[in-house]
Amino acid sequence: MRPLPRLLLLTVLVVAVPADAKTTVIDDSGTLPYDAPLVLHWQQLSPRRPVNNRMTGTLTVRVKLHVAPWLRRPGRIYLALPAQQPGAMNASWFTQGRLLPGRVSSGSRSLVYSGLITTPFIEEVLQLTLEVDGTQLRQLYHVNFRFEMDEE
Amino acid sequence: MSPLRRDTYQRLGGAGLHNASRLARHVLCAALLASVSHTVCAFTVAIAPVSPKTVYLQVGVGGFTGHYNAGGTPGNNATVNKESVTVAAAAVGNATAQAMTTDSTVGASSYDGFAFCNVPAQLYIGGFYRTTTAGGGSVNVTATVPAALVDGGGDTLPFARISWTTGGNGDSGSEPFPAGSFSAGAVQTVGTIAQNQWAESCWTFSYSNTTFPAAGTYTGRVLYTLTAP
Repeated sequence: MRPLPRLLLLTVLVVAVPADAKTTVIDDSGTLPYDAPLVLHWQQLSPRRPVNNRMTGTLTVRVKLHVAPWLRRPGRIYLALPAQQPGAMNASWFTQGRLLPGRVSSGSRSLVYSGLITTPFIEEVLQLTLEVDGTQLRQLYHVNFRFEMDEE
Repeated sequence: MSPLRRDTYQRLGGAGLHNASRLARHVLCAALLASVSHTVCAFTVAIAPVSPKTVYLQVGVGGFTGHYNAGGTPGNNATVNKESVTVAAAAVGNATAQAMTTDSTVGASSYDGFAFCNVPAQLYIGGFYRTTTAGGGSVNVTATVPAALVDGGGDTLPFARISWTTGGNGDSGSEPFPAGSFSAGAVQTVGTIAQNQWAESCWTFSYSNTTFPAAGTYTGRVLYTLTAP
């Protein structure tokens, strides 16, 4: 009678803790344009209480992901927006179907692909919109994105 | 009223630029890889604080299409409004201030349509200054005032005879465009707009009527200017 509870406990632990997924930053050096200049506009052009100081801008990014290292293997690809200057930001994007559309806040990431990697490169056109707090802008910033691969 | 928007960046384009940027990126990536073995390239987006500055000033009739909170946007309007008063012959020089009225029909705030000023007794003045960066910055609105009002015969009347009070329906406390009087032949500050705030007031002009000028119609034009760094 005694071994049974121990077996049940082990089973629960195995189910609750998934296998470690290895995360690797994907080489997207084929993406264009490099360090794209983004023109920002006030969300609320005419300020009055409560003042909305958010600014947004949209640009087209031709993404090219080098996924050959994971060819013929399943994987999950995320678009990450690391926490960075000038502070809290949100990004959202539309795609042409190869990757998933979505949105992400700084310091987090969002799933854009899940499944078998069937080609050495994944290419997609993103309509990327970035939203920032205008009062935090003091200089030129290079907002860094990255694609991450979680191997299954 | 003078809206201003400046965008300083232009989008890259053309195969040559793409190739050049790709080469630059590879050089950058190589530099990164040399120092951090696991670093790979990631695309970046450049944002700058200089491009989205906007100013808007409206004295009397303005250029707003609709109201802001209904999707309206500021624009240009070349209208020059008039403040005037006719002093009865029997009252000339009796030191009783004469209220002036405006030909502006704008009593509603350009922000939300609220009936802020009472026309024709009051003249609407409002605007905003949009800029990035935090802080308590502000910009001034100035009035460029001629030395005198002049009639057809060359007679003059000092602009300093004209003053104004300030207010606004539902307002309390200090106004962004305070009461004052014209400084003849000078450029004077008539108000302040804090950054990233909408500012508006209603001015009620009057003529002091303390002298006995020659009979006539005296006119002069004051230019209001909002200047942002």
